[in-house]
Order: sequence, then structure tokens, then C-alpha cells
Amino acid sequence: MDIRHWKDLLARRLMFLLCVFVLSLLFCIAWGLYHKASPVLAAGSWQAILFSSDWHPSQGRFGLAGFITGTLWVTGLAVVVAVPLSLLTAIFLAEYCPVRLRDVIKPVMELLAGISPVVYGVWGVLVVVPLVRDHLMPFFSGRFPFFPFASDNYTGFSALAGGLVLAVMVTPFMISLMEEVMRGIPFGVRESSLALGATSWQTTKKVILKKAAPGIVAAVILGLSRAIGETMAVLMVAGCALQGFPRSIFDTTYPLPALIANTYGEMMSVPLYDAAIMLAALILLIITVVFNMAAWGILLHLERRET
Amino acid sequence: MASEVSQNHIRVRDLSVRYGSTRVLNNISIDIPDKKITAIIGPSGCGKTTLLKSFNRLIDLQEGVSVSGQVFVDDEDIYDPKTEITHLRKRMGLLSQRPQVLPMSIYENVVYGLRVHGEKSKEKLNAAVERYLKEAHMWHEVKDRLHTSAAKLSIGQQQRLCLARGLAVGPEVILGDEPTSALDPISAEQIEQRFLALKDKYTIVLVTHILRQARRLADYVVFLYLGNLIEHGPAEEVLNNPRYAKTKAYLEGRFIEEPEIEKELDLIKLTFPESLKALEKVFKELKVGQVLRIVSGEKNLQGLIRSPLVAQHTVLEIKKRDALTSEVIMQKNEGGYSI
Repeated sequence: MDIRHWKDLLARRLMFLLCVFVLSLLFCIAWGLYHKASPVLAAGSWQAILFSSDWHPSQGRFGLAGFITGTLWVTGLAVVVAVPLSLLTAIFLAEYCPVRLRDVIKPVMELLAGISPVVYGVWGVLVVVPLVRDHLMPFFSGRFPFFPFASDNYTGFSALAGGLVLAVMVTPFMISLMEEVMRGIPFGVRESSLALGATSWQTTKKVILKKAAPGIVAAVILGLSRAIGETMAVLMVAGCALQGFPRSIFDTTYPLPALIANTYGEMMSVPLYDAAIMLAALILLIITVVFNMAAWGILLHLERRET
Repeated sequence: MASEVSQNHIRVRDLSVRYGSTRVLNNISIDIPDKKITAIIGPSGCGKTTLLKSFNRLIDLQEGVSVSGQVFVDDEDIYDPKTEITHLRKRMGLLSQRPQVLPMSIYENVVYGLRVHGEKSKEKLNAAVERYLKEAHMWHEVKDRLHTSAAKLSIGQQQRLCLARGLAVGPEVILGDEPTSALDPISAEQIEQRFLALKDKYTIVLVTHILRQARRLADYVVFLYLGNLIEHGPAEEVLNNPRYAKTKAYLEGRFIEEPEIEKELDLIKLTFPESLKALEKVFKELKVGQVLRIVSGEKNLQGLIRSPLVAQHTVLEIKKRDALTSEVIMQKNEGGYSI
């Protein structure tokens, strides 16, 4: 065998190994987190950790429920804001927008998705937090003094601020996915609806959205899973003071990723503290993996149906 | 214009269509006869589908399309900006190459058009479903599963469902864009039977690349080549006795050649006595087998073709340059063949 075939063989083996290595990272990380988290699971019941919001590490109480619900609270707010915004924009891009305009809008939107989270964080502190503090919070909390608006947090650093910043961050991603799903629908389907005298809006509402629904759900889930893991920007605007279970969109909140980033490596003298943080990370990982798998499952199913 | 009673549903006047810088249709003028089957034939890429879709303005959906000229549907110029497109489209049912069922039940597919136009009465919708599924000859196949997904039907059934759906909005015209090309022979036969049964009630325009289908179905034939209207007329005439060289070549399955123009005469700028002299001169100079192109004003065209000077020549093609001028391309022949 001459030298070039050896090189070919070597390259093939090497690249395969690298590929396996990258794939194994996920399992290594998951196993490592589980291994590191196991002391805290051994020390107390997992129910006490998952369902209690009693977070007093120095007394050995590690209830993560406040952080978990905090994460869901912020993410939920982000979705409520981001989904209508993304969906309507995606509809415009896929169904109404002339190709030339779309060719300009899409790259700009992708730029938006590429901005560093810390920049969004700064924008959040400078724009969104004051907006919540000076306008949204006094208005809603004053007029609707009940759940989920009533609050006595006048700083503006709140779940809503976190949700708004997150929404802006995941919107470009969701738009681009949704738009792809809608444009993947065969042109003839639109044509046959329009040929019967339907307007574009009727066609979109009755045909396109119906066909695209699973894909849109998948796009929302993928956006969600991105939002859940987002750390920096949320950490900067959400207040990060533990309030137990969320009671208001204007209260401060403390999501899981922020907890991990804020405290890991700081209070290591407290027994089991690092194990509790590892458990938080493991929970985050599991949520993200499950969401992603669900979304890709839906998208794969759609792709098969079309072909 | 509205006073003329015997007008055809669809009249095309000097229609040109471009996609970006490519010209797809070139000054087409034609009347589509009512309550007959008209077949648009021609090789692929010659503008058949574009012509068909210009009738209900579906070509508007193409990016970068520009249209000039007029298409009259019931005396209304449909390219007039004031035209209500949704109402225009309601008057034409479309069958596309592949059946495109909507993502809903069989029942909802049939009533889709009625619903988008605001029909709410349950009885009317029920009646329409039965009536049009019967017209499409599939009522008995599906009457027990009207509320199951239309996507589960066979492809031939889907195409008949599309026909029922198109008929349900009460059109005057049915447009078919190679509607049998994706179907198996039996389903294709069923669709053809439907067309023959429906032609007394509807004006049917079909794009087809299957000559035998044109022979079986068409009453009237339109032959397009590279965006030009080469020939149109009653089916027997065009299919059995084509007037022009290109039509003949296409029907016989030969390669269509562009004639090489050896001489050219522009009559536009000449007035009567000079033009006649110029004509006589050019005909005298033309050798047997050579091809001559004469550019002429539209109103002198018929006189020119019928003139005794032309008798010794075969008219290969008459091409419209724009609304007012045409090109006549003719070849000098040995024998006495003339048109």
C-alpha cells in the first residue's frame, strides 16, 4: 500500500475518533454531573430537593424548587411574548414578503441572533429594567393588584425584565425556524387555495398554519430550550434574589443557570453545597435534552411526511 | 363592448409575460371558445402553463413577473388594478399537475371554496358536497368516510376531489394544467371522462403535452412554441392539417427548426406604390428554398398573405412583434402549394 492510502486510512480513523469524542462529551458531562450530585441526593430525599423551596445551604437544606419554578416563570414569560411576535413575523416573511426584501431581512435577523448575551444583558439593564420600573410595574401593579401583577419590588429587576430580554434573544431563532417550516410547504397547496378565491390571509390561517402546526410547535420548544439555558442576560436583569415560589411577574426571580453561575466556587466550605449546584446543572441538562429531543422528533416526522 | 352578446368568456389581447428579463409569452391574442375543450399544446417550456395561469392571475404569485396586454374574462379586463382577484378566481376551477388536497377532511376540501367566500349554511354545504362529489364521480367511493383525511385517498381520487372542490365554487371555466400527468392510466381515463361529461356546462382549458390526449378531448387546439402563438383553430384542422411548418414538425415529432432568414423586407415605413414595388422585387430575387421575412403592419397582414404574389410560397410562420406589427416568414417553393 502506498503512502497516500495510509494517509487516507489514518485521516479516516482519526476523524472518526474525534467524532466519537465529541459525541461522548454529552454522556461524560451527564455522568460527571450525576456523580458529583449524588452526595446531596444520598443525604436527603430527592423529593425534598425538587419540591421544596427551602434553600438554606448552611443548615443543609437544599430545596431547588424556587429556582426551578423561577426558570420556568422567566421562560414562560419569554414564550408568551416571543411566540406571537415570531409567528407573525415568520408568516410575513414566508407568505407576504417579496423575495428581495426577505433576502435583506433574514441576514439582519441572523445578526440579531449572533449578538453576545452580555450585550443583551446590558441593553436589558439600561432599557428594559427602567421600562419595567417606571412604566409597566406602576401601571399593572396599581391597576391590577392581584396575581400575577401585584408586587412591592420597585427596582425593575424582575422576572418580566428577564422574560422580555429572553424573548428578544430567542425571537430571531424562532422566526428563522418557523419561516423555514412554512416555506417547506409545497407551493401547490397555496396555489390551490388561492385558485379557489381565498385571500392570502385565509390561505395562511386555514391551510398553511394547519400544515405547519407541528413544525411551529417544534420551533417553540427549541426556542424554549434555548431560553431555559440562557444565563448571562437573565442574570443581569432578573434580580436574582430568592423569593420562594414566583408570585408576581414584577418580583425578582432566581433561575437555575443564574444560581449556578453566581455561586459555584464561592461557598465551597459549606458541606454538600457543590453537590447541590451540580444537581441544579444536571436538572438543567435534562430539561434541555428532553425539549430538544421532542422538537427534533417532531421535525423529523414532518420531513418524512413530506417526502 | 359589453353590448356584444356572443363574446367568448376568455379573450386574450396582446398578452406578453416576462419573468425578470426572460420573455415567456409574446403578444398572444386569442379567443377561447365557450363550452368546449381547448387544449394548449407545445413542447415543455414554451409558456403553456404561463398562459393558462394568466387566466386566473395565478402567475402573479411568481416572483418578478411582469404582464402587459389584456385578458378579458366576461368583458372585464382582469389585469385592470381594480379587478377583484378573489372573485375572478372563483370563476375558474384549477386542476394542477399533482393533485393538491388541503390538509383537512374530504368534506372540508369540497366546501373550502364556499367557506372562504362566506357560505355558512350547513344544508347548503351538505348539498354541495353531495352534488359535486357526484359530478366528480366519486360520491359512492367516499360517502361513508367524508370526515376522514383527504390525504388518505389514492392519487387519482385526490385529483377527482380537487375537481369537485373546484366545481363547488360554481366556476364557468375549468383550467387543467396537465391534470393527468401524475396519474395512473385508469385514473387519467376517469379524469378525461369527467372532462367530456362536463364540457357542455363549462369552458375547459387544458394544458397537455400528450398529443393523443389532445386528439381524444380537444375541440379547439392552441399551439405555442417558445412563447409565440404559432397556430390555433378547431382541433381537426390544427391536428390533421396544420398550416405552419412548426406545428407540422411538432405533431410529427420532429425537431422544430428555426428557419434561417435569408432576406428581409420592412413594409412599415413604405406607402402603397413603393411597397408593392419592393415586394415584387424581393419576390423576384428570392430563390427556391430561401426564406424571406416581411415585417408588416397588422392591418395589411391579411391582404399580404392572400395576395397572388405570395402564391408560390409557403408561409412558415406568422409572428406578432407587438400590437401593431407582425412578421410573416415564408419560403419560396417549386410547386404550386399555397395557403
